Amino acid sequence: MTANEKLSILADAAKYDVSCSSSGSARSGDKTMLGNTAMPGICHSYSDDGRCISLLKILFTNKCIYDCSYCINRQSNAEMPRAEFTPDEVVDLTIGFYRRNYIEGLFLSSGVVRNPNYTMELLLLVVKKLRAARFNGYVHLKGIPGADHMLIEEAGKYVDRMSINIELPTTQSLRLLAPEKKRLDMIAPMGFIKEKMSEYKALGRQFKNAPTFVPAGQSTQLIVGATADPDYKIIKISEALYKRMALKRVYYSSYVPVGRTAITVGPSIDLLKREHRIYQADWLLRYYGFTADEILTPESPNLDMDVDPKCQWALRNLHLFPMDVNRVTFLELLRIPGVGNVTARRIMAARRFGPLHFDALKKMGVVMKRAKYFITCSGKPFGASDMDPFRLKQLMLDAPKPLNNQLSLYELYPGQFGGNQNGLRI
Amino acid sequence: MVYVYDGSLEGAFSAIYQMFHDKGDVNSHTLVASEGLQYAIFEPVKTCETQPEWSNKVVQSILDTFGPEAFRRIGYAYLSEDAAFGTKLYRCLKRAYKLGERAMENLSDPDILALYKCYNAVARESHSMMGLIRFSELNKGIYYAHFEPTYDLLGLVIPHFKARLADQIWVIHDTKRKKAAFYNKETVHISDLDDVGALDFSSVEMDFQKMWRTYFDHIAIIERKNPKLQQQKMPKKYWKFLTEKDLSKNLLK
Repeated sequence: MTANEKLSILADAAKYDVSCSSSGSARSGDKTMLGNTAMPGICHSYSDDGRCISLLKILFTNKCIYDCSYCINRQSNAEMPRAEFTPDEVVDLTIGFYRRNYIEGLFLSSGVVRNPNYTMELLLLVVKKLRAARFNGYVHLKGIPGADHMLIEEAGKYVDRMSINIELPTTQSLRLLAPEKKRLDMIAPMGFIKEKMSEYKALGRQFKNAPTFVPAGQSTQLIVGATADPDYKIIKISEALYKRMALKRVYYSSYVPVGRTAITVGPSIDLLKREHRIYQADWLLRYYGFTADEILTPESPNLDMDVDPKCQWALRNLHLFPMDVNRVTFLELLRIPGVGNVTARRIMAARRFGPLHFDALKKMGVVMKRAKYFITCSGKPFGASDMDPFRLKQLMLDAPKPLNNQLSLYELYPGQFGGNQNGLRI
Repeated sequence: MVYVYDGSLEGAFSAIYQMFHDKGDVNSHTLVASEGLQYAIFEPVKTCETQPEWSNKVVQSILDTFGPEAFRRIGYAYLSEDAAFGTKLYRCLKRAYKLGERAMENLSDPDILALYKCYNAVARESHSMMGLIRFSELNKGIYYAHFEPTYDLLGLVIPHFKARLADQIWVIHDTKRKKAAFYNKETVHISDLDDVGALDFSSVEMDFQKMWRTYFDHIAIIERKNPKLQQQKMPKKYWKFLTEKDLSKNLLK
């Protein structure tokens, strides 16, 4: 099998892992090596599904001994072609792509061959070879659940980011869909990595040449929509992971039914939309100072698909509004629907020079369509003072999109416009 | 009064010096580059010569009053090649000196916002170019990239590639502005460069291009095709320079 054929199979096998970011690490190189890492991360392309391509995201092999029913690479999926790279092939591909500026680095994961330790050793071998070849770019390595901690610690010295997928939100759903995987095998190494990170950071403060350990931190992924777990459970878990495990990111992958599976699926809503809303809630946790219990409650455990989670929170807390953009604190600004992080910072900076008015707010990036119901400028309301939550929600909703198949003049008057008049549209 | 400068940043600063010296209401002056000048019938025109001494004074004053970040933004805004850059700079500075130290952060002011927008557009494109520039390996081990950014940002991406691709010889060629940056594993120099004609690729180059296209095709989840989002993130104007999107190269497959 050629490297190109392997690449097509093992990229296919890796594409449902949604993590792509190359951020969080700033390491400079020197003239004898290739590459460095950029703090904010860099996107190199966008695939046909609109997702950013930043790293070469591949599996080392998709020959997996497990049979997790949500996974395309499960052992029982007989239609799936199987392949396995050699370590040198991965090194050559990564470096060749990097030199042409196709990628920021490598994101390497793998199906489990023989046992977790054997697999982890294979991955470790690849990253060691890559660094030995003077490659200094970004490396994100998947930790194999159940692998020995010694192997995890060794690998952590060569990579920028490590992630261990938590796969499913609850222990029950894990037992149901991935009977061979154990919850503890995922949580324990996360705690271990967290501990080691702070250990090595302390070392780094003492000794200039101390090795780094997972400098860009760890992330994880969970699958949304394969089980009936409500959104509340999901964001509660994310919150715990951010707080207790100091994770940098939790990724949510909406379930794509791959092949035939006997899976219980939650309510039939647009899964992509749901994924999008969960990501919005995740941002509220990380950048907007919200807690999971503010976003959702056990009583209404699912996100509203019609308006974003911040709007939902605001509609439940109308007694806090309207807020005066010229007076409230930064954290309060962040609570206003239609005001993002960048805009809030701009408002804080501009306020020093005098009170802001509505037209200026709009130009500075406030989405007035949502914000206008929740703000005043130096006491003056925008003019929209309707404060009934139900009506407000209706007002903020997008008008339904017009049907895609617009009538062309030709379709209306085929007699007058002969032939295919593509250009004429009304 | 229409002030005219030679189109260089130094020229703009030196004209600004004169405009501030001449005083007058902010709305009564505009500043245009000589090549973009359309003769105004009713307005007097004053051609400003570039005086390094004056321009240095303006630069120093900007640095002292607003700090290095504000100066960096002005430099970026200049690279936007906006026809109204001169006037925008003049109006922005006129306002900023009234407001004082952190004035450049006051985006609620239309004149300050106008210049900020020029800066932001350039900053944005130069960041995305760090990802979108594509090198091909030529047969002598030289990595060659061509691109045509909307803004004149060749100089802004050089430090990035100098640090990143430090151990390879590369050329980045702006084919629209007909100039290129050459890196020889030590230093970078920029010079004029016309069309380079047919390229002589290395023996493995086509293999890597093919594999990159394979990867690009297979990493997408077909059930979720979203061409609108793809185009929004990666505008079509860049496609002809992308190995994975250039249709003429796809025909070779």
